[in-house]
Amino acid sequence: MDFAIQTIISALSFGSFYALGALGIGLLFSVLRLINFAHGDFITLGGYALIVPSSAVVAIALIGGFHPVLVIVVIVSFVVILALLTYFLIFQYVQNSSPATMMIVSFALGYTLQNIIVMIYGGRPKAVNLFPELTGQVQLSDGVSVQILQLVIIAVTWILLIALVLFFRRTRAGIQMRAAAEDFRMARMLGVRGKRLIALAFILSGALAGIMSLLFVTQKGVLTFGMGVPIMLFFFIATVIGGMGSLVGAVVGGYAVGIASVVLSAVLPEDIRPFRDACVFLIVIIVLLWRPQGLVLKKASQERV
Amino acid sequence: MLLSVENITVHYSRLPALRNVSVEVEEGEIVCIVGPNGAGKSTTLLSISGVLNPTSGEIIFDGQKINGMNPEAVARAGISQVPEGRHVFTTLNVEENLRIGTTVRNDRAEIEKDFKRVLETFPVLAERRKQAAGKLSGGEQQMLVIGRALLTNPRIMTIDEPSLGLAPNLVDRVYETLTELRRDRGLTLLIVEQSSERALKSADRLYVLRSGEMQLEGRTADLKDGEKVRQAYFGFEEGTAQEGEVAF
Repeated sequence: MDFAIQTIISALSFGSFYALGALGIGLLFSVLRLINFAHGDFITLGGYALIVPSSAVVAIALIGGFHPVLVIVVIVSFVVILALLTYFLIFQYVQNSSPATMMIVSFALGYTLQNIIVMIYGGRPKAVNLFPELTGQVQLSDGVSVQILQLVIIAVTWILLIALVLFFRRTRAGIQMRAAAEDFRMARMLGVRGKRLIALAFILSGALAGIMSLLFVTQKGVLTFGMGVPIMLFFFIATVIGGMGSLVGAVVGGYAVGIASVVLSAVLPEDIRPFRDACVFLIVIIVLLWRPQGLVLKKASQERV
Repeated sequence: MLLSVENITVHYSRLPALRNVSVEVEEGEIVCIVGPNGAGKSTTLLSISGVLNPTSGEIIFDGQKINGMNPEAVARAGISQVPEGRHVFTTLNVEENLRIGTTVRNDRAEIEKDFKRVLETFPVLAERRKQAAGKLSGGEQQMLVIGRALLTNPRIMTIDEPSLGLAPNLVDRVYETLTELRRDRGLTLLIVEQSSERALKSADRLYVLRSGEMQLEGRTADLKDGEKVRQAYFGFEEGTAQEGEVAF
């Protein structure tokens, strides 16, 4: 029973993390049809911004040494600015190209960012001790203890989800963004400023990436230049099985992938456990064979004729 | 002249879709462009709204050159388009669809007044305010996009085939609404229509477009018998259908 509770909390926290990542990708895809494979590297860069730029073996805290509130504000702003820069310097010039072209551009951007990190910080992993008080355990009841960070991840995710829902339902910009996601040309013909809206999507996506940098670095305790790549793969898979272009789908997909990973680690026999990710991907294949359109059907496709 | 399209030529990649087409609309007028499928009617409207860029010619709106401007700038200048196929935002509810129409405006008090007015003009929209627009019937969706375009408070509204896919009695209702809007608010309308009879009934002036070229232009009052319009529309006199062509 205790093991079950711990597994559930661990699964929810994993799922929350993937859901946030999938949302960051889904936001850009919905208005721009861009699958931004550099999203994971935005998260990595947010982590590296915590330390002094140098290739020394021992990392020295830079922003990471500030007051916690300031750490959050500065890192999130940093990643937001980074995301906006990639739009104005790169993606705006390919925004009318095919989704495949944009995706390849994002791959190239991702590799460029990784190599910039290697150039500045060196290729060796660097230990970082961010928010150490969050990595401790908390006793929930007799025998059940979980990492505080897992609860924080779940809470942060739900706060952000609620904030996003309010943004999309209640604000003018949010409603415009939903409209543009469905029919960008029509939205522009009604006066919605296309570029501004896309820039806003980059801001939101960048803010999510910034928050994820902090959560991810706190959890891992170490920075590597390629650490954004494997998680990006899972975010991408989450958006695909959730249903491309549906934000609800991104969240559902994120939770599905996260929960599947954790549950498989818990129930798979010892010998197969190293192949957990392969098993997750196998489930993904089965899900997509069963529902190629993704788990969450967009309302638009149930349109009455 | 409120809107004047002067000798525009538009290409789709390298194929010309319009050749030297001119259209003029006076303030308060209802002008129809009629023509068969593929005549270039929608192309004309999309050029006006900045979606397509003419390779030559000019589009002047209220003394200002608007070709080359992007769609949002054209919308902000005061031209609202209801494109072919209606394009409601199906996942947004009726009210949100209407609210998107107010994007170009900042006069809160006036917006609320206009919003109420639109709901009074189209009571069915008021009933279904919170319903997803994708669930509306074709006629209701047509009312919704007209209402949405009205909320931009346009100086001119362009509508592409308002009768497309609607039952005849609903088409009557749509045109009734449009003529009422002109009467009550002095709305200027540029309508693209396949049916020349419908255009002769509702418009002040009419243009006939075929194969990307303007065939005929005139006051509907002078074209009432419809013979000239038919000739311009089909490109041959009645009863002289050429081989391989279908006689109408």
